[in-house]
Amino acid sequence: MITVIMGNISSGKTHLIKEKMSKATFPIIYWSPQTDLFPIDAIYLKSELPDLSILSNGEENKLRHLSNYKDIYIEVPWYLDIKSIDSFLKQLNCHRLALISKVEQKQDWEMWTDEIILNEEINGKNDLALPNSLDLQIYRAALTGEVLDFSSLETFWLELIHGAYGEVIRVKGIFTILDGQWIYGEFLSGEYPKDFYPLNFPLNLEGRPQQFSGLEIVGRNLDKQAIADTLGEFCLSDEAIFYYQQQVKQSLALEKEKV
Amino acid sequence: MKIAVLSCLHGNMKALEAVLKDIDHYSCDQIYCLGDLVGYGPYPNEVVETIRNLNIPTVQGCWDEDIVEGLNACECSYPSLLAEKRGKLAHEWTNQQITPENCQYLAQLPHSLKVDNYCFVHGSPQSNHEYLLPEIDAFAALERVLSADADILFCGHTHIPYIRTLESGQLQVKVSQSTPENDQVLQFTTPLKRIINVGSVGEPRHGRPNATYAIYDTQTEQVTLREVSYDYQETCRAILEVGLPPIFAWRLAQGLEFAEKADDPTHVCER
Repeated sequence: MITVIMGNISSGKTHLIKEKMSKATFPIIYWSPQTDLFPIDAIYLKSELPDLSILSNGEENKLRHLSNYKDIYIEVPWYLDIKSIDSFLKQLNCHRLALISKVEQKQDWEMWTDEIILNEEINGKNDLALPNSLDLQIYRAALTGEVLDFSSLETFWLELIHGAYGEVIRVKGIFTILDGQWIYGEFLSGEYPKDFYPLNFPLNLEGRPQQFSGLEIVGRNLDKQAIADTLGEFCLSDEAIFYYQQQVKQSLALEKEKV
Repeated sequence: MKIAVLSCLHGNMKALEAVLKDIDHYSCDQIYCLGDLVGYGPYPNEVVETIRNLNIPTVQGCWDEDIVEGLNACECSYPSLLAEKRGKLAHEWTNQQITPENCQYLAQLPHSLKVDNYCFVHGSPQSNHEYLLPEIDAFAALERVLSADADILFCGHTHIPYIRTLESGQLQVKVSQSTPENDQVLQFTTPLKRIINVGSVGEPRHGRPNATYAIYDTQTEQVTLREVSYDYQETCRAILEVGLPPIFAWRLAQGLEFAEKADDPTHVCER
């Protein structure tokens, strides 16, 4: 069965998919159109559900054949015009579901979906609702290969979500930090900040990390240069990465000896 | 007699002017300054000259020391890579601006001042880099005051004002030796002691941009932590005009201080 989840920015699409996947039986497939270059949600889901198969753009035609014997979830990013994907979805035997906030109108989604779910948990600020979101900017910083100083990241994150670099509506990011951990961070305007969340991936202890990491900011009047410059201030050098990796390895070896 | 104690001015002349006006309003008899006259803010020379001209007894802060001796604090001074890079930038800018006369003035400042049963320090009697946070272990806090041979220890450095009263009590210290019969036990009583952290004039960290300082009445022993509003936007504009990073202005406006405190606040820099 194919389930298509759509909704406005931060309506809870990825979290709903995670919830549904955790109850489903594998194999499960996930596809999110036009997110190949910046697959934050896909990587997050993969860390929660290691057996998840993720389709890349160009592989979507496989969906027609796979739908008979696998659970498939398609997450439509909020910035993608549904009209552009509607004809493709019509070719699939799929159930379309929209997640909306309290301030959104059901009728805006009725023509595109089979089911509408009101997500009570999201605050649904008026300025997040369409069509005002058309003036939102998206800033993406690709950080694959970079290892960040965690204390600096915390400082930058606090400044970012409190508006030091422009008005921030939503932030999502996956980062590799100096102890080799992969962490996930997200923030939605109007909600309490959450702690960074460790992802379930092996520690990166050999050179620069190869897996995707990056930061996506949605907001207004974003000072992109200042964001990029600040991020650049706390990406570790090769020497520092090597030093910290040796420290972690020694520490892990000591723990192993104790056991 | 009413004494006003201020600290951590950080080149913020507008905040200092507002605080001096407030001190005047409360008719204080004496002012003491706990250092960090410079660093991060746009008016290092003006602040130093004001303190000099008013003959305010002043101790050396960690920033004053670094400007004089060069940036040779150990890495404990910076809790993150970002803080370190920003701190170095502020240091280099201040170093270029400060006049030789003002640098000389900072160089001759004492580490601590002792007046009657009061001791004035920037960080702690041990080091002007040490943070005496309100949550520091009571024994360690008492040890710091006792080591100053004072009843009241005035300090700054944390940028968050607080008053901590250490009640009088009995202390027992046991030094264990290799053989239990040689163990040494020392007992002594301590009178009531106080730590008064006066916050920061020019770089607050209590969540509001207002300047803070303390007034102590030596007769009534009453402490008043003052919070003084001023046109911080003017300082923010000056930060931008002199070419310091805009994030310094943003942090000042938020009452977030320019940099964060070290992970291990009681770590004493050994250099």
